[in-house]
Amino acid sequence: MRLDLKSINQCVRCGSCRTFCPVLEESGWESANARGRIMILKGLTCGLSPDSKVLESLNTCTTCGICTENCPAGINPPQMIESARRELVSMGVMTRQQEDLSRIIYASGNTFGETRDRLSWFSSDRSTTPKSADYVYFVGCMNSYRYPETAARTYSLLHRFKATLLPREVCCGSPLMRIGYNASRFVDENCRQISEIGASTVITGCAGCYTTLKNSYPKDFRVLSVPEFLAEHISELDLKKLDLTVTYHDPCHLGRHNRIFEQPRQVIEAICSLMEMKTNREAARCCGGGGGVRAGYRDLSLQMARRRLEDASDEVDYIVTSCPLCIRNLSDAGAGERVIDLVDLVTMALNDPKNAD
Amino acid sequence: MQLPANEIFDNPDCIKCARCVEPRIIMNDILQELKSIVGERASASPSERCCYASDASQIAGLPDFVVRPMNTKEVSLILRLCHDQIIPITARGAGTGLAGGCSPVKGGIVLDMSGMNRILEIDIENQLVIVEPGVVAEKLNSALKPHGLFFPPDPGSMAMCTIGGMISYNSSGMRSVKYGTVRNYVLDLEVVLADGQVIHTGRKVLKSSAGYDLTRLFVGSEGTLGIITRAGLKIAPLPKTRKLVLAFFDEAETAGQAVIRVFSRGITPSACEILDKTTLQVLKLCDPMLAIAEEGDLILFEVDGTEGSTNEAAIQIFETCQPLARSVRIVTGQQMQDIWAARRLVGAAISRLDPKKTRIYMGEDVGVPIKKIPALIKKVQQIAAKIDIPAMKYGHIGDGNLHVALFIDVMDDEQWNKLFLAADKIHRAALELGGTVSSEHGIGLARAEYLPEQMGLEAFSVMQSIKNALDPQGILNPGKMGL
Repeated sequence: MRLDLKSINQCVRCGSCRTFCPVLEESGWESANARGRIMILKGLTCGLSPDSKVLESLNTCTTCGICTENCPAGINPPQMIESARRELVSMGVMTRQQEDLSRIIYASGNTFGETRDRLSWFSSDRSTTPKSADYVYFVGCMNSYRYPETAARTYSLLHRFKATLLPREVCCGSPLMRIGYNASRFVDENCRQISEIGASTVITGCAGCYTTLKNSYPKDFRVLSVPEFLAEHISELDLKKLDLTVTYHDPCHLGRHNRIFEQPRQVIEAICSLMEMKTNREAARCCGGGGGVRAGYRDLSLQMARRRLEDASDEVDYIVTSCPLCIRNLSDAGAGERVIDLVDLVTMALNDPKNAD
Repeated sequence: MQLPANEIFDNPDCIKCARCVEPRIIMNDILQELKSIVGERASASPSERCCYASDASQIAGLPDFVVRPMNTKEVSLILRLCHDQIIPITARGAGTGLAGGCSPVKGGIVLDMSGMNRILEIDIENQLVIVEPGVVAEKLNSALKPHGLFFPPDPGSMAMCTIGGMISYNSSGMRSVKYGTVRNYVLDLEVVLADGQVIHTGRKVLKSSAGYDLTRLFVGSEGTLGIITRAGLKIAPLPKTRKLVLAFFDEAETAGQAVIRVFSRGITPSACEILDKTTLQVLKLCDPMLAIAEEGDLILFEVDGTEGSTNEAAIQIFETCQPLARSVRIVTGQQMQDIWAARRLVGAAISRLDPKKTRIYMGEDVGVPIKKIPALIKKVQQIAAKIDIPAMKYGHIGDGNLHVALFIDVMDDEQWNKLFLAADKIHRAALELGGTVSSEHGIGLARAEYLPEQMGLEAFSVMQSIKNALDPQGILNPGKMGL
């Protein structure tokens, strides 16, 4: 197998990752930890057969990056694991769940196999969306199909700044890339539309879409997360103070992967009181949903989410975050409607909610 | 069988040996028996076995089974099975060891004890705790902190290493210069013997003069005499305050002399660490925000106690070092904590200095009498220069323990040869200076060849007799410590 031996050898097997890996905490097996996964990668380069247990080890990594954050040797296990997933998929070695998810995305252009119009949440006349604009709101599969209200609220806020929508947005490709598949056709299609609109900035409210647009797309446009955009424009939003105390869950792909820690907090603190979770910012515990784990290993994913919920004080009114996948997982793990998007909080605080919903 | 980890799957002695091609039915029977004891917490999958092949050392061996027991009864039943079937069994905590202590070099079962991780009792009045072996040292200290107490031994790996592993290798760390090693804190052990019997080695008392000191026998025995399933540990009051004196020197040897002068004045620091010039560079890379602008060979003297006593000791150290040092200063609070946090990571962080190179743990734990430290440092410098291999030197200079970090391009065979040679010469240099090949990491297999020489053949044969008495079939961590 072609794997990056240099990175593999850079791991000194000190075991620092054991302190942090959320999957190891649930599973207990070394194969569910970054060090174990790297030992498996090394095994694969010298004769270990890529059987179902190898796939389980590699595919249960949420790619949350807390191991990278704390690795004394400075290695990046999620990157190595994603690369191994790609290599295995190219050899035809994958799980049924990987195959199913990729088939669905390739066939429908979204992660759910939805045949509905992706913009069905958009109640206005579609011809009112500008055909060319500086800002594009990239909605993402989750918000398009599972959180249409959040999509509508986000668009309503961004529309104030003359943002438009892609006419035929498709999946950003993140789930495919995370599980080892090629997503170039989706990248190309979204890029073509962004270029036609002439946008210089793409704004998204999904942490998975954000990291993909920012790090895996051509650098032809600026990519902003909704929290960054809102923080930049906070004074123009005319927000009122709310008598609420909330906490903020850092989505891994927004926080650790892209260092967006302060902007969502600035927005929250402009509206209400913030009470931090037990682990936060660089040290924030993963919700358990990312890296294809929610799709492939639902029980494990929910176990991690339940543990993440223990980090939030019972005193908070809401757990605010900026990623629909985190919302979904934390909500399913027992938080229900107590988990909301940052945009939902901002909408509650608008003095002039016109066009907000 | 001793195999470099990267050869474990293509070495014919490994996967094609008789053990692995024996009729599968036998292996399946054993797996079924293990599953009847622990359920799905037993595995024979090749990938899981691969993950448990080694610790952070270069010693590896493929286990046939990995089992994660959750209580003493399960451990006892597993050992009874091993005893009846003559199956090698190697206990493992977090696998952070540096001598191959938990590498199953004769195959058999790896017993992952990290799941037995409950703190069973915090007895404030008696100043002791009862814990299971899988408790992580830092978690124990987090639980003790609200009570104003702590478990003093603090290896660099304390964020992930387990108490069971610490006891088995008599580990210590940066504060052992004042607080001693794990051995000083173990009051009682519950141990499962090779035939499955469960014994206690002590009582919940701070001292006892009744019988042989079996507790101390099991401390540092590296899983060769029994499996520790519970420990009663002495704990200590947390000091009120700490201060850190940073002293920078032109030469490591001069730094060593400064340490001897500090001790000669009757000062016992709570930590006394050396970081040579290269290590200091890596330390700064570990935390670029670290407020250390100075260069040189650095000694960190920590003092703890009351505000008054730490002030007095810090000033005395400052004054003692000043005539020898390039510069000296005292830090406290967050700045001190940041320096310690980076110091804990420095051993594994060498590739931050040169991404092409990896730190290989060999010859990394030698110790000599404190007075011989300058001679050891000089000797290590000469060895590294002669062999032409980069060596970073750091460690607990206050108790004579020097960690030598050798780093190489692991894809280069010639550099491996240099590494083996340098490590051997460093071990022998320590012995020549009246020291030890391991101060706190243990012998395992990595240093087994030096043990008879260090102990003397007669003393080593006493050790063999003890091993034979407690484990006549040789199933407990076979191949380690030269046994």
